[in-house]
Amino acid sequence: MKDHHLDTLLTQNETPAVDENAKKRAINLAMAEFTQRQLENSANKPQGFQQRTRLISNFFVIGRRNLMLLLNNKRFYSGVATLSVAAIAIVIFQRTPLDTSKAVEQLHEEKTSYTLPSEDKSPIAQADKNTDAASTTAQTAIETRAQSATNNQAIKPSKESAKRTAESFAAISPAPQAEMRDRNLSKIMAPQEADSNQLYYKESRDRFEKINPNTIKQVNSEPVSTFSIDVDTAAYSFIRRQLNQGLLPQKDAVRVEEMINYFPYDYPLPDDKAQAFKPSITVLPSPWSEDKKLIHIGIKGYDITPTQQPRSNLVLLLDVSGSMDSTDKLPLVKQSMGLLLNSLQPEDTIAIVVYAGAAGAVLKPTPAKEKQTILNALNRLHAGGSTAGAQGIQLAYQLAEANFDKNAVNRIILATDGDFNVGINNDNELKGFIERKREQGIFLSVLGFGQGNYQDQLMQTLAQNGNGIAAYIDTLSEAQKILIDEATSTLFPIAKDVKIQVEFNPDTVAEYRLIGYETRQLNQEDFNNDAVDAGDIGAGHSVTAIYEITPKETAVRAIDPLRYQHQTNDTPEKAHSNEYGFLKIRYKHPTEHTSQLISQVIATTTVENSDALFATAVAAFGQLLTGSPYISQFSYDDIIQLAQANKGADTFGYRTEFIQLVRKAKIAAAL
Amino acid sequence: MQDDALIKQAQMGEAKAFEQLLQQQYDSLFKFAFHWCGNRTDAEDIAQQACIKLARGINQFRFESSFSTWLYRLVINCAKDWQKSHARYQTVDPEDYVIDTCHDEHLDQTVLIQQLFKHLESVSDGMKETALLVHAEGFTHRETAAILGVKESTISWRIHEIRKQLHSLFGQEKS
Repeated sequence: MKDHHLDTLLTQNETPAVDENAKKRAINLAMAEFTQRQLENSANKPQGFQQRTRLISNFFVIGRRNLMLLLNNKRFYSGVATLSVAAIAIVIFQRTPLDTSKAVEQLHEEKTSYTLPSEDKSPIAQADKNTDAASTTAQTAIETRAQSATNNQAIKPSKESAKRTAESFAAISPAPQAEMRDRNLSKIMAPQEADSNQLYYKESRDRFEKINPNTIKQVNSEPVSTFSIDVDTAAYSFIRRQLNQGLLPQKDAVRVEEMINYFPYDYPLPDDKAQAFKPSITVLPSPWSEDKKLIHIGIKGYDITPTQQPRSNLVLLLDVSGSMDSTDKLPLVKQSMGLLLNSLQPEDTIAIVVYAGAAGAVLKPTPAKEKQTILNALNRLHAGGSTAGAQGIQLAYQLAEANFDKNAVNRIILATDGDFNVGINNDNELKGFIERKREQGIFLSVLGFGQGNYQDQLMQTLAQNGNGIAAYIDTLSEAQKILIDEATSTLFPIAKDVKIQVEFNPDTVAEYRLIGYETRQLNQEDFNNDAVDAGDIGAGHSVTAIYEITPKETAVRAIDPLRYQHQTNDTPEKAHSNEYGFLKIRYKHPTEHTSQLISQVIATTTVENSDALFATAVAAFGQLLTGSPYISQFSYDDIIQLAQANKGADTFGYRTEFIQLVRKAKIAAAL
Repeated sequence: MQDDALIKQAQMGEAKAFEQLLQQQYDSLFKFAFHWCGNRTDAEDIAQQACIKLARGINQFRFESSFSTWLYRLVINCAKDWQKSHARYQTVDPEDYVIDTCHDEHLDQTVLIQQLFKHLESVSDGMKETALLVHAEGFTHRETAAILGVKESTISWRIHEIRKQLHSLFGQEKS
């Protein structure tokens, strides 16, 4: 080979066309970084205009900047993890080329027998409680890892320059380890995360509720299905994170409805605003089973324009325990909250309370227009040390109450990695507390961060009791989605206790199965009982539920007909022969106590609808991940094909990302 | 130059100008990244990282070199950082990437190139970026030297060395 061959090789090796979505995403992220940077520049320099003329600006704050850089880098090394899992597989497969099943077993064994030499991320260090708002800083805990809690300092107005900020940062991290960590970060290399042990399945402390997938029901014996809606999306983000690390998620982490509801769908809005939303029903042939059909029920709440937005009174309750000291936790929390600021109106107020490490208010309720003050307070937060930091949650509610405005949305936003040492240690007591406050008009949303200690079930329960959402934020783009793109739905509820009931027509439907919503099942009688709590829906939120049905005319049945039961007449009554069932939705306006009813016939007409088909692809993926027996004929490739064909405009690139995830799952499943 | 004006505006904090700059530069960043790592996902990650890094560092560009020189330096850094974290996972034996598959006519070129890069890197540092800048991007030795911040003679030596390596790898092959 002569050297010009290399030229030919390299130039002929065509680079694939640029993916517009990837480009858009990269540019959006960079723009967010750029804007954030401008903001910080103006926040750090009192003479805001002068700094614009300087070509070198606050690079003193390099440590913190690098944290952000690393964060943005997250996707990047998770991709690396995937690759390396593949690499290991190749090695194993090469060693035992004839017996691949053995190789798979071997890998599984390795996965479970190796556990991460776990660095205890929540050390029980003894840190002094520091609740005096006037006193400042630096409590040195006994543990080397413990850092000081200077949160109280943030109450003081900051007039100092960027340099001063940098100095105070240096002062906040006295432990040599902390410095080393910072240095590591600046190399963009993943510090702990990139540890190759990550490849093996971790005995993690992530907690999930056990899910038993819904089974097939016979219409004759059980014609009515009732459940509460669920607008949470935490499961999808969590699954994405696992898949990006090359691991299949644990089955209980997969909540199919949360995956489906992650994506925006273009359902028609109600014509009349008196009605909170309008159901749209689509009947499709089931792509994974010839004899079955899917009934796709979508509802979308009306969206409010910024001028209609009620005022917000927000209290951020942030976990600053030692376990939050990881790039995908506190630094991401800070960035996310910075983003949240952008979606607020000038008169909205924001207060910050921290718990664990050092409990206390670090920012009294401050109007969103004082961005600098808020950003400064956020930037000074530091994950430090210890255990239960006293009355974090009570304090948060006190601040919300002090600033309570009955015309505003009063909401606590709790950000944590699963450490709920908020001051009330008993889960039930905590639930009760949140519920009582909800009655008073203060809602709670929970944002989950990080991994390893993630308490999915508790987060769900708390958010449900607090009439809020539970979301899992793994990347800055996810924060952008939840806090900016969907800010109105995250912040402003338009209906609460939304329940869905479907009565199937035994003359046209033999069997049915609800896909997902396992944790949201209600009893038939709960539907009309306004005292039973159910899911809430925010402005512009869309919710989708999919039933798989076996129409009467097809011969295939999962369940044999009963010999002694009276069989319904085989000639259907003409009046309802073109109906599969009847849909009823009950909901309450956020401030009311009696519910309203929406009902609609489910007609037998089959139509093509690209949104419904995409949701179907997501449903198929979720079921495949849970190992559902009902979808064994459908492969990852089928899902990719179905999703690809129904991607639509995909403005934010979510659907494209989904397809990538399916590919990753396919690889992970093959190992 | 129009580009310079754009860069200056971006440095002053004009979001529109910066976005336009990104729009202009993304494709070549991606292309370079793809050459570097040989697959789309990683290339997109590297390019994305480069964009973010650009957002952070645009103010550090002082018009002392051409913008593209500076930008290449930036994307090479991103790519190297990617490679470093990537290298941690390389459990494959060095033996495994000895190029023994060249007889296969259907060998994926991308894989071949990546194997070649690995081999070159094992010979000496800086070979990969040199090979890419000179052979794929078509820079002269002098320009490459400016981007990589080394002497021109170093580049010439590397190119010579690359040629030698190629010869020893493929020399014995027929055709």
